Amino acid sequence: MKQAPAARTKPKVSMASKASISRRRIESLKDFSFAAPALLILGVFIYYPLLFSLYISFTNWNMTRPMKKFIGFENYDRLVSDPLFYKVLRITFTYTALDVFLTLAIGLGLALLFNVSKRFYNFMRTGIFMPYYISMVIASMVFLWIFNNQYGLLNKFIGVFGMDPVNWLQNPNTAIWTLLAVSIWKGVGFTMLIFLSGLRSIPLEYFEASSLDGANKFWQFLHITFPLLSPTTLFLLITNFISSMQVFQSIDIMTNGGPLDSTKAIVYWIYEMAFVNFRTGRASALVIIFFLIIIVLTAVQMILTKKKVHYEG
Amino acid sequence: MMFKKKWLGTALAAVLAFGTVTGCGGGDEAAEMPQGDPNDTTPVTIQYWHSHAETQMGGLNYMIDEFKKAYPHITVEPVFQGGYPDLQKKLSAAVAANDVPAVTNVEVSVVANFADGGLFQDLTPYIKRDKVDMEDFSKGMLQAYAYNDKQYGFPLIVSTSVMVYNKTLLDKLGVQPPQTWDEIEDYNSKVTEKEGGKTTRYAFSVPGWDTWYYDPWISNGGGTVLTDDDTVGFDQPESLRWAENFKKWIDDGSLMMGFGKGASDTMRQMFLDEKIGMVEHSSAIIKMYVENAKFDVGVSFLPGDKERKSHIGGAGIVMMSGAKEEQKEAAWKFIQFMTSAEHNIKWADETGYLPTHKSVIDSEEGKQYFEKWPQYKAVFDNFDNVGPRPQHPAYPEMSSVYKDIVGEMILNGKDPVPMLKENTQKMNDVLSDY
Repeated sequence: MKQAPAARTKPKVSMASKASISRRRIESLKDFSFAAPALLILGVFIYYPLLFSLYISFTNWNMTRPMKKFIGFENYDRLVSDPLFYKVLRITFTYTALDVFLTLAIGLGLALLFNVSKRFYNFMRTGIFMPYYISMVIASMVFLWIFNNQYGLLNKFIGVFGMDPVNWLQNPNTAIWTLLAVSIWKGVGFTMLIFLSGLRSIPLEYFEASSLDGANKFWQFLHITFPLLSPTTLFLLITNFISSMQVFQSIDIMTNGGPLDSTKAIVYWIYEMAFVNFRTGRASALVIIFFLIIIVLTAVQMILTKKKVHYEG
Repeated sequence: MMFKKKWLGTALAAVLAFGTVTGCGGGDEAAEMPQGDPNDTTPVTIQYWHSHAETQMGGLNYMIDEFKKAYPHITVEPVFQGGYPDLQKKLSAAVAANDVPAVTNVEVSVVANFADGGLFQDLTPYIKRDKVDMEDFSKGMLQAYAYNDKQYGFPLIVSTSVMVYNKTLLDKLGVQPPQTWDEIEDYNSKVTEKEGGKTTRYAFSVPGWDTWYYDPWISNGGGTVLTDDDTVGFDQPESLRWAENFKKWIDDGSLMMGFGKGASDTMRQMFLDEKIGMVEHSSAIIKMYVENAKFDVGVSFLPGDKERKSHIGGAGIVMMSGAKEEQKEAAWKFIQFMTSAEHNIKWADETGYLPTHKSVIDSEEGKQYFEKWPQYKAVFDNFDNVGPRPQHPAYPEMSSVYKDIVGEMILNGKDPVPMLKENTQKMNDVLSDY
């Protein structure tokens, strides 16, 4: 494609080789100039910060002192020898697993339920999708009120059934579920919509043929719908996985990582380290570790699911 | 060609990375004497970065207008930078970009951190030159903005923790809020109400969600959070008395401690619903209690034992050392104006924070202020007992260790004393690894 001009000039090697080289240079410069604006933006906002983080991660910079001292791998050493590091990883993975699984399962369930074009169903679909438009900050504020133990909606509701009020946000066992509730409430609409488009791209002939062969709805789902949805599922799995791993806003507003670190997911810990405790160097080391974890896990997901994903056509 | 592009990318990255390595210069030492001429009237504009909430803006605008009248050649541009954490982030970024405001707020707990990094101008030379009456300030409040014997700033919006009590209830029960630890048990037995073993009215509440509230309890009991050689004091028995008592009072159902997000709301609501007789809270929200309670609200200073202190909260006003030379003189004048005795009462009344000068208390304005807000009197009777918080750059991180121990006590009923002892080494490690 792009190599075409270079290939064209190749036969004239002996005589015009100098001219051809300079022309190739011009061509390559031209290519580069097209990519330059995008590269510049990526460079300034993605690659430079990334490399800078890598550099800071080897220093003891604390953001308030202008000097940075190179301390090698000490930040990394201290992180992996801190028990909190493993606790934070466990919390992040638990949260991610539950969030991804529940969002996808509920989203798929809703998609199957609402895969009918009737006015009422259209209305319901819109209703379920609505929370997706609401900013995470506002949603978190609303849920903060819902889960409040004194005047929250949920405790009022369970009070009707004679249950004692629960301290949802201040109990280490329930706090993570309050975060999951916001995330799932906000996320299922989008998941449902993507699943719906996936469902509608499955050719109807498969269902007709299988029902002639006597398959019931459940078998159809298991052997036709679910396998043929797999590209959609993979897409949702990866995007949801990455966004769940990066959970921050809801924690910042609803729990501050507490109580007793029970909701301290990795990004919140990075924030706390950098901006509350001013350990910018160590926070950067954590950023790099987190970056590697996400890259590796995303690659693993793609490789593992490659064989199991059926692409139509 | 692919190869070439990759190479270019690497080169670009290398250049950028190199830029970052060389881009960081060293901080310069503060000069011995102020450079500027105090009588220079060349027009100058300075920025004032602040975290003043909406409710304080009326007061701030008034002060800036008055300042303009006194110094027509100086223009102050106030810039709201969000809450304290946001302000701190932006300050750090401004320092990195070498484009700092001349004057800024700083939250009192991070003074050590920023001062240690050389970001703040040492104001001592200015204070000496203009012979500022330092004796007139509350000693502890000034100390909170000094670090390593240098005065980096002045107290601006000052709060401290106080005991807010239900005066109507206590009068009815015929009890006084405890002034010493010895009086607490007697107070507890009179105020606590139980039904079938469960407390329906707590005698008092100490917030567990922020160490600011119980640090003074540690020192009032004869202990220390931070010793002089920058280690924690939890290996000494006096430094554990607060925890022993808190545990005892929680177990006998007279003390309510909240922990985690929303615990503050809960405590506030329980007090207003008369489920708690007395709560320790910030003096900055006394007005809120007075306005929302259906009963009379009284304020008492923290009860003392070996000593009787409470800690300063809120923010101060400082000059950035990286400000341009021509701005520094103007910045100093502004700082002096904002914290002077002249406008102290007006400022306190507008913002709901505490006056900082001794002389204003007996002034005509001061008398009116105390007539309007008799609740603040308790603080002024203990004016010099409002002290600085433990000052160490790693304090925020170290304190989260014993805050979580308090959390374990509140949420899981654990005994904090052995945990404090066991974690002494961990806290010392945080302090030394700075």
